[in-house]
Amino acid sequence: MFLKVEDLHKVYPSGTHALKGVSFEVKEGEFLVVIGLSGSGKSTLLRCINRLHDPTTGKITFLDKDVTHVKGEELRNLRKSIGMVFQQFNLIKRRSVILNVLSGNLASMSTFNSVSENFSEKDLEDAYKCLDIVGISEKANVRADALSGGQQQRVAIARSLMQKPKLLLADEPVASLDPATSNSIMQYFEKINKELGTTVICNLHFLSLVRRYATRVIALKAGEIIYEGFPEEIDENWFKTIYGEEAEEVEIR
Amino acid sequence: MIDHHKIAVEKVQKQQDKENSSKFLKAILLDSFFVFYSILVVQRAIIYNFILELKEIPFSWGEIGIIAVISAVVGTAWAFTKTSLSCKLFGIAKEGKITDLTVEIFGWFLFNITFISGWMITKISIIDLFSEEGLRGAQRIFGALFTPQFSIFDEAFFALIETIYIALIATLVSIPITLILSFLSARNLMNDNPLSILTYNVLRVILNFVRSIEPLIWAIIFSVWIGIGPFAGMMALLIHTIASNAKLYSEAIESIEAGPVEAIQATGANKIQVIWYAVIPQIVLPFLSFTIYRWDINVRMATIIGLVGGGGIGTMLIQYQGLAKWHEVGLIVIMIAIVVWLMDYISAKIRAAIY
Ligand SMILES: Nc1ncnc2c1ncn2[C@@H]1O[C@H](COP(=O)(O)OP(=O)(O)OP(=O)(O)O)[C@@H](O)[C@H]1O
Ligand SMILES: [Mg+2]
Repeated sequence: MFLKVEDLHKVYPSGTHALKGVSFEVKEGEFLVVIGLSGSGKSTLLRCINRLHDPTTGKITFLDKDVTHVKGEELRNLRKSIGMVFQQFNLIKRRSVILNVLSGNLASMSTFNSVSENFSEKDLEDAYKCLDIVGISEKANVRADALSGGQQQRVAIARSLMQKPKLLLADEPVASLDPATSNSIMQYFEKINKELGTTVICNLHFLSLVRRYATRVIALKAGEIIYEGFPEEIDENWFKTIYGEEAEEVEIR
Repeated sequence: MIDHHKIAVEKVQKQQDKENSSKFLKAILLDSFFVFYSILVVQRAIIYNFILELKEIPFSWGEIGIIAVISAVVGTAWAFTKTSLSCKLFGIAKEGKITDLTVEIFGWFLFNITFISGWMITKISIIDLFSEEGLRGAQRIFGALFTPQFSIFDEAFFALIETIYIALIATLVSIPITLILSFLSARNLMNDNPLSILTYNVLRVILNFVRSIEPLIWAIIFSVWIGIGPFAGMMALLIHTIASNAKLYSEAIESIEAGPVEAIQATGANKIQVIWYAVIPQIVLPFLSFTIYRWDINVRMATIIGLVGGGGIGTMLIQYQGLAKWHEVGLIVIMIAIVVWLMDYISAKIRAAIY
């Protein structure tokens, strides 16, 4: 079993019940897209998988192992095999692009070597390869905050590739980018999914992107899964169920 | 499935109940204190002192005790109505006209009695400020300032250098110690296990305590401990610098962007790696800026500390003041002013440059 989520609940200390019994499975090599209105629990779901948030109850199995409550070393190993890309890129702004990419590999380095920034030849080579995959190696020595949003997101993807992840989580990776840039970023995810065989779980807002890139879709509404199926099956009716009667589809090319 | 839902909700509900009852307890205490304070101020400062104009204000613990008991009863009863000032402050008051009215009336009442009694205690007197004798004193001191005695310039100059160095050493030595303490007292780094939460809380209490004692008082303590002189002054500044900068640093750590920290955590990095890669790059500039600013503050404080035996220009100033040599005092004051102004200017320039 690659990833299995069973009856997952998440209640925040504030009292918000963000996930109410979510269950689904992901097979290796899938490109699963999670859709749903703002506040429906998409980010919470992804963050429970790599345990940036602790699930309140329920069970998560990753590569046949119960990871719901792992701690310490085991938790770090879990996170090492799961990459994550964020809406706000979350790069270290004052450092160079290449250092940002190298920081994806910290879990494989000793604490001493990482604090003294003593990277091996092989690590550097790998980092450049990851930058090549997202086509931005010429910016290796530029400060991260000197890049445009789209470029920063490519660096963030390279950082997560540096982990050689089995699973890549992407939380609305294109929500703060313009339509053209969005498409090109999504194409990198597609390439990683198809060529490197990395399983991807991605939160998205735009249905046109979903139809184009997803192999399977789940839709959340108020913390529950209300739809699970293939992207081409989402018709007008489903759309209105997921996003509400008032909603109208926005095209993005 | 329903069960899980219930368990989850109950978990959170319990936590909230606990929080609310502790808030209510605090509200009872605070309301009792408000009542106690009002009775005392009205009785002692306003009635005895101002209206009856008693020379000797009667004092007995029995009376205070009775007032305390009355206040506790009234305060508790008031808190139970859920319309009190403290309930409002802790956010557990009933919404409505009565609450708004009590809060407004009592708030104003507290402010006014405090202001009136404060005015009386300070013995504010326009007469003293502009009396003939007062004006003559002012003339003497200002006159001396404008006719400084330059024969002690060399001595004052070296004393000033001593002061600047005392401040510099105190600031430099504080840096590594402050750094370590600030990480240990930043909430967002110290919330993952009971031991770190304990360390955080203990450190916070100690730092708050040390900081609440002014450098001037630390200087008195150290001049008794290790004898009058520059070393005592340096130690006083060092202790206070560590305590106040540790707070500033740790607040800077607490207000960093969470995003990069999460991103590095998500790669499976350990705590030290997360601090090195995601926390430190975000705090170097504020840290540098605080530290330079602190050097500037320490130069001023070193002067004051000298007054109680911390060495440097302050010690010299107090000696000449004791001898009533006003023209020498005038020179020293002018030199201090120039150095303080220069430090202020330089530190502002440096801080502007690093951002
Ligand atoms: N750290 C948190 N503490 C408390 N409540 C939170 C936290 N994060 C999210 N929530 C709440 O949980 C619910 C689900 O939020 P979540 O961020 O998972 O939604 P989302 O589907 O990702 O929305 P968006 O599209 O706006 O990103 C919301 O009601 C939100 O307010
Ligand atoms: Mg979200």
